[in-house]
Amino acid sequence: MKRARLFLPVFMACGLLFALSLPRSKPVSLVKVLKDRGPVWAVLERLQIDVRQELETCFLALADREDLRALRKNRVAFSIIDREAGGIEDYFIVPLRAPGTLDELQARGRAAAVEPRTAVFWTTAGLPMEVLPSELPRKPLSSSSVLPFLRAPVDIKRAAPVSAAFQDPVVEVLAAQVSEAGLRSLVQSLQDFQTRYASTTQCEAAGEFIYNTFSSLGLDDVWFEPFVFSSGYQSRNVIAEKTGETYADDVLIICGHYDSISPSATRQTLAPGADDNASGTAAVIEAARVLAAYPLDFTVRFIAFSAEEWGLWGSRDYAGKARTAGESIIGVINLDMIAYADAMPEDLEVIVNGRSEWLAERLIAAADLYADLTARKTVDPSFVYSDHSPFWDQGYRALLAIEDNPLRNPTYHQTTDTIDKLNFEFFTASARASLALLAELAQPVREGYPRTPIGLTAEPVVYRSLFNAVKSARLSWAAQAGTSGYNVYRTNMSHLDYVKLNDAPVTSTTFTDDHLRIDLPYYYVVTGVGTTGLESNFSREAEISPDNLMMTTQTQVLNFLQMLRAR
Amino acid sequence: MKARGLLGLVLVLGLAASARAQGLSLSLSAGVFAAGQETYREIYGPGLPVALEGWLNFRGAFGLSAGVTWLRDDGSAVAVSGGGEQYPLRFERLTFPLTIFFAPRLKGLVLRLGAGLAFHSYREKWQTVDLGFEGTCLGPRVCAAVEVPIAGRLSLFGSLVYESIPTGVEYTRGERINLGGLQALGGVAFRVR
Ligand SMILES: [Zn+2]
Repeated sequence: MKRARLFLPVFMACGLLFALSLPRSKPVSLVKVLKDRGPVWAVLERLQIDVRQELETCFLALADREDLRALRKNRVAFSIIDREAGGIEDYFIVPLRAPGTLDELQARGRAAAVEPRTAVFWTTAGLPMEVLPSELPRKPLSSSSVLPFLRAPVDIKRAAPVSAAFQDPVVEVLAAQVSEAGLRSLVQSLQDFQTRYASTTQCEAAGEFIYNTFSSLGLDDVWFEPFVFSSGYQSRNVIAEKTGETYADDVLIICGHYDSISPSATRQTLAPGADDNASGTAAVIEAARVLAAYPLDFTVRFIAFSAEEWGLWGSRDYAGKARTAGESIIGVINLDMIAYADAMPEDLEVIVNGRSEWLAERLIAAADLYADLTARKTVDPSFVYSDHSPFWDQGYRALLAIEDNPLRNPTYHQTTDTIDKLNFEFFTASARASLALLAELAQPVREGYPRTPIGLTAEPVVYRSLFNAVKSARLSWAAQAGTSGYNVYRTNMSHLDYVKLNDAPVTSTTFTDDHLRIDLPYYYVVTGVGTTGLESNFSREAEISPDNLMMTTQTQVLNFLQMLRAR
Repeated sequence: MKARGLLGLVLVLGLAASARAQGLSLSLSAGVFAAGQETYREIYGPGLPVALEGWLNFRGAFGLSAGVTWLRDDGSAVAVSGGGEQYPLRFERLTFPLTIFFAPRLKGLVLRLGAGLAFHSYREKWQTVDLGFEGTCLGPRVCAAVEVPIAGRLSLFGSLVYESIPTGVEYTRGERINLGGLQALGGVAFRVR
């Protein structure tokens, strides 16, 4: 007995020592990091914080105790949303569209508003899919860190609006081929499946229909990409490809989801989804039909995604695999609800994140030039509720084209979302605009013109003093037969407002561009000039990325304003 | 503005001190400056400073010194990733030191060991590109100076100064630019009283 009395405290002390000597487990918290301070990007990168979502005013990140301490030390403003974060798939971003939404979410599970119009929802009771109200779109946090793709915004103003906007006769012809009758027939066919709610056999049948339609168009390849979603269900993305003549490995994507949804009582049997999103799917198929016969410089993929309504499963699967495979995706045009007009003339809303702004600018120009349609840009990384956002998560440029933001279609996610409610004038214009942008970017190959140059690379050379630095870009490309010289173009905004750098065509295949600012990105393209003076299409872009080499903390800022072109 | 304030302070201190002063000498010297930071040395190499200083001895072994140092350095921008272009640079620095020193009595020579503060105004300019940077800052310094009398009021003068010149400007991640280093000067000194 006496021995036992001694034994107990010794045992407890040993136990305590053992417990203390164990490597501490790292409980991970879900935190919201405020964006407002400029250097926050650099700090997150330096600390290698596991950022899983970029929103308009903040980031959502997973942080262990060490990360939290480091954030505090670096005076980064953050708040903890969930102290003990579990599986990432369990957190959903949902929009707060009505005043009572947050209360409703909190009644069903746990929810926190992270922005005035955005909440995070999670629950340990059942699948969030079943728990979330069906009218709410949702997006899970990214399954991997988005940190590598975050870039502090660079303040670049467009020099001039597209005054030089040039109407390309080939693109004009292509855009005019988008047929209202064709769109109508496709939407009718998709609606006729009664429901396309992912997990139903009708949804799979709709996928089959899309596959067969693509197959009848004479494209280079058509295939299914099956995926598993929401632990156990299966569905398929349907993909068609038109391979580029010049750049087979550089891809442009036009996409829309073909699955649909309606309230839980009806969706197994009735979810017509004419606007959401037979409209986008039909426009994708119509674009494939029009472009099938025309040779293009870049590869174009036409994709109908599935299980979007379940939480963007099809596009998350696709974008994740594309990133893993290191695919070069130049831009993604996502069409979701492009056929309902609450009033005419209806504008097309174009939603992008900061890195994808050029896509919106180009769509606005294309809509104006080729579809007589007004498109409006909104830069809002918090608008993650469609298939463009998984591409954002993987660092690709993507836009969402949608009829209204906020939505005005009263049949949204209802059994009444049928073809008779659509406005085909607006719908055809939306489809034309997106096809025109796609064709402009993919670049129709023209007979009699010099071939598009290939092999362009840009090497940065940085020269630095104590307090400043300048950069040079050394460009080189492959010689192209039938070309007597080359023009070199530059811009600070990808795919926008190229400015020619040379006076007479360059006869060699190299070019050095000096005295560049260190903190700006530069994009270059070259064209070939033929003996008769005809100019080829643009090569693919080569990029010189901005450097973080210098981060001045003083306000006696670098006197960069007038960069003299010395000599 | 800041510089003028500091100069005023030096003047007031100097006047106040001269009331109790036992002796004053002026030194004019030039020499070599070796920067502490690798980056500076890589771009500019050793610098050539010129200094004019007044040394005021109080009764006892202590004293006060103030003056001005001018440094000009030509260099060229460093290519981070192997480029062939030349970008000539010019760096200039004007320093106003204020030092309290201790001068132990020694036979045949005057030795002064001091510590103090200096106000620095610096400017870097790219010669062929319109690029430049200006700034000011305060930094600590320590120095040792010796005077060896040669004839009448004239002495040979030598000094060794170590300064830290923290600009507060970040160069690369983590590293802040410090323009300080070690300077060795030689010249003459003249005993005024
Ligand atoms: Zn939709």
